Amino acid sequence: MSQQQNALPKIILVGNPNVGKSVLFNVLTGAYTTVSNYPGTSVEVSRGQCEIDGQNYQVLDTPGMYSILPITEEERVARKILLEETPHRVVHVIDARNIERMLPMTMQLIEAGLPVVLVVNILDEAKRLGMELDLAKLQQRLNVPVIGAVMRRRQGLEELRHALSPAPVTQQGAAYDSVLEAAIGRITDTLNGSYRLDKRALALLLMQRDEEVAALVGKIEGENTVAVEETVRTVIFEKRSDLNLQISLERKRICRQALDGVVQQKVLNGLPWSERLSRWTMKPATGIPILLLVLYFGLYRFVGGFGAGTVVDYLEGHLFEGYINPGVIDFVSQHVQATWLWELLVGEYGLWTLGVRYAVALILPIVGTFFLVFSLLEDTGYFPRLAMLVDRLFKMIGLSGRAVIPIVLGFGCDTMATMVTRTLETRRERIISTILLALAIPCSAQLGVILGLLSGVPGALMVWLCSMVFIFLLIGFLSSKIMPGESPMFYMEIPPLRLPQLRNVLVKTLTRMQSYFLEIFPLFLLASVLLWAGKMSGALQGLVSLLLPVISAIGLPGEATSAFIFGFFRRDFGAAGLYQLQTAGLLSPVQLTVAAVTMTLFVPCIAQFLMMKKERGLKVSAGIFMFVSVFAFSAGWLLNILLLATGLLQ
Amino acid sequence: MICGFCGKEIADEMSKESCGLCKGGCRKIHCPECGYANPAPGKLLSRLLKSKEETKP
Repeated sequence: MSQQQNALPKIILVGNPNVGKSVLFNVLTGAYTTVSNYPGTSVEVSRGQCEIDGQNYQVLDTPGMYSILPITEEERVARKILLEETPHRVVHVIDARNIERMLPMTMQLIEAGLPVVLVVNILDEAKRLGMELDLAKLQQRLNVPVIGAVMRRRQGLEELRHALSPAPVTQQGAAYDSVLEAAIGRITDTLNGSYRLDKRALALLLMQRDEEVAALVGKIEGENTVAVEETVRTVIFEKRSDLNLQISLERKRICRQALDGVVQQKVLNGLPWSERLSRWTMKPATGIPILLLVLYFGLYRFVGGFGAGTVVDYLEGHLFEGYINPGVIDFVSQHVQATWLWELLVGEYGLWTLGVRYAVALILPIVGTFFLVFSLLEDTGYFPRLAMLVDRLFKMIGLSGRAVIPIVLGFGCDTMATMVTRTLETRRERIISTILLALAIPCSAQLGVILGLLSGVPGALMVWLCSMVFIFLLIGFLSSKIMPGESPMFYMEIPPLRLPQLRNVLVKTLTRMQSYFLEIFPLFLLASVLLWAGKMSGALQGLVSLLLPVISAIGLPGEATSAFIFGFFRRDFGAAGLYQLQTAGLLSPVQLTVAAVTMTLFVPCIAQFLMMKKERGLKVSAGIFMFVSVFAFSAGWLLNILLLATGLLQ
Repeated sequence: MICGFCGKEIADEMSKESCGLCKGGCRKIHCPECGYANPAPGKLLSRLLKSKEETKP
């Protein structure tokens, strides 16, 4: 930080966490900001610069604070900034929806003699909840500038810039009741030194046993310190039964008075429609049926029926089989004489016939339709509600609702989701989630192929779904018993339900498709080359013979072996192989279901294994890999026996 | 940008580029609040979106 910048008048942003302080900071300062630890602490403070009416200012974004009486390290740093930086303006940002809860801190800042500008942010959400705010009246009562804002849309920015510019006029804090005022007066009368904060605010902080302020007073008062300490001690002793409560109640009374007639809550004929729907999605009695509807229409009908059915039939069955493949094969046959090269390009495991066709005609349409549904749900704000819904269920298996983030992401891509498990609070949660992701969460491509695969056989999808849910819960439960420990509390603010924006949904879908395709396409080509090399050298046949007893043990035909070998590269590649066998009529309903369950339980792909190794270490990840592989075939074997014994699906 | 999971604002400087945690560079921006991986449009898509915004009256 340059000395020149430090000499500029300072605008300090303060407020609770998550009220839009950082957004305001970015909006005011633009791109040129620095982030550094506040001297002597490990707490980061952002500094930037802005120009208002030709005057440059330094802008500081302080850590979130709830009161100027600090409890946490972050609050201590925020208050230190207020005490040490001599602000030109202190911008207190509050959330309009929680104005009553946040206004006491505004009162404290005004009481401290700081040049406050109050920004009442997130006004749009408050209006949506039926709140009407008369901010002109509030400004009149507080006697400081009050700006209504929706900072993420830059609404209120010009008014704020206008309010920041003039020289501030120091305001007097509101009066407490006479008993408290008398106590404050006794302390302020003994303070002789000169302070940056108003003496009334200092007296209140001393009465609340603020050690930092006591040390500061001791430093400034010198010989008078003993007299000050004696007075403070006497006041605290006299009011020992309810001093803090009295201060807090008085502040609330003053805030209520200031807000009288400022906040009007419109009666919205009960709750707004979106709020009602939001609550339904989170209550088990209504949330589970809604979830089933989402799964049925979103995944089964749209991804499984339309994506894996109609679109794949057209692309793979019509375009590739009918026009593109014959043309490419003819062209290669005419120009390539060497059998090995012909095989490499357009043979059984050829780069074109297997790699390109699987990636473009089979997987991409399925993944594309899945990402469309995923992005649509994401844009509505459904996922945090799903987290709240499954929190209770997750607690039973040793996870908190927060684990729904990697689990939901796993349906998009297990590799990325494995990385996101690092955001979970305990090591235990991270390991359980990693196991569940590796075992029971199919990624988008695999899910799409499996839904397409099973949608034509009545009952097969239900058996697959029940098996996966049962295994998910069983393994989660057993893992939590093997690794005992507390499940942390889960709390999150739920963002509003929104109507999805078409542009957002399309951009997210295309971005995810592009990202996914760039990731899998080289892998599909590599897998084709390896399979081709295996075929040409005879190693593939050896591998097939090796796996054949296992495949036969779970009741599958020998032809399914190659699909399982594909599955070691990526589960979705293997699932696409099963899709081919199914369309060729080589699998009975029981075999199809057993194959789908076994394949789903495989470790998703090489990339996911590498990510597991990076996140959990080689020992844990190798253990998970071994467990998952053995478990997958054991579950397939058991399911086959169960289905044959019960006659289900026959 | 707004996080697709928790709805919190992700600061501009964070949303300009991906977090760089994935090898080879991914197109995801991890929300600092909840860790959710938000998709970040690639260069081509960003350019297309930008040119469309610029042509708007």
